[in-house]
Amino acid sequence: MAYPSMLGFQDATSPIMEELLHFHDHAMIIVTLISSFVFYTITMMVITKLTYKSMLDSQEMEMVWTALPALILTMVALPSLRILYLMDELNFPNLTVKAVGHQWYWSYEYTDFEQLNFDSYMIPTQDLTPGQFRLLDTDNRMVVPVNSPIRVMVTADDVLHSWATPSLGIKLDAVPGRLNQTALMTSRPGVFYGQCSEICGANHSFMPIVVESIPLDHFEYWTHSMLNNA
Amino acid sequence: MLALVRKQLRTHPSLIPLFIFIGGGATMAAMYLARLALKNPDVCWDKKNNPEPWNKLGPNDQYKLFAVNMDYSKLKKDRPDF
Repeated sequence: MAYPSMLGFQDATSPIMEELLHFHDHAMIIVTLISSFVFYTITMMVITKLTYKSMLDSQEMEMVWTALPALILTMVALPSLRILYLMDELNFPNLTVKAVGHQWYWSYEYTDFEQLNFDSYMIPTQDLTPGQFRLLDTDNRMVVPVNSPIRVMVTADDVLHSWATPSLGIKLDAVPGRLNQTALMTSRPGVFYGQCSEICGANHSFMPIVVESIPLDHFEYWTHSMLNNA
Repeated sequence: MLALVRKQLRTHPSLIPLFIFIGGGATMAAMYLARLALKNPDVCWDKKNNPEPWNKLGPNDQYKLFAVNMDYSKLKKDRPDF
């Protein structure tokens, strides 16, 4: 999860987020090389004592500095497009969860087998118990089985919201009247936090998302207990 | 116009890679736009004969340009007809 003074991404929990992390490293190396080369060139040009006032052109240099950036951009674009198309693929999900954004809470519906619906409100700061995270914890979490492909359908009830969990590499806009779909797969059990990512009114910063992934038999026990307690 | 360009290219051959890359990029963008216009099921050209092409999607068709991990021949249709 996020911590103060954090500089990088959160640890990846889904295969897509791992791909995104690797791509970010790849692009960052290229960006660092280009920036350091430019910085070196400008420094050398500023502190040099050599002047050659009759330089007119250099065809070879111009050919190189046209072809090389095009090649670098291709090397960045190809992995990027691959991940983009990979993010749109669904791998035969076993479960469908609907996440509906309201002002100012999320509600989750598991309607594959029984009707399991519940709301997920942020825990107010004055009601936090020791160990809970301020502005991030909710009363009910979206519980999913670990290592299973899940289809998440996101929509909204009133205004635009956005369902985001950085650790899973997911950000999906919740548009009223529209169903957006994404594939979710947690590679390890745990609790993963996210926050609403589209301005939606006064409490936009206070409607977080918590995804908890647990082994499948525990998940069945959880669904039973939620249905019995409803 | 073309003769002028050819004359300039003889004195400045470094413009050739520029034509190649810009021309290639513009061609790729135009081809993708044409593909979207003609093959995207969200686009309707003929309101009389083919009014809502997005209602005719099959389970084994690939609508995106690339399929990285998906084997479309293995998909089954699990939605009801209407």
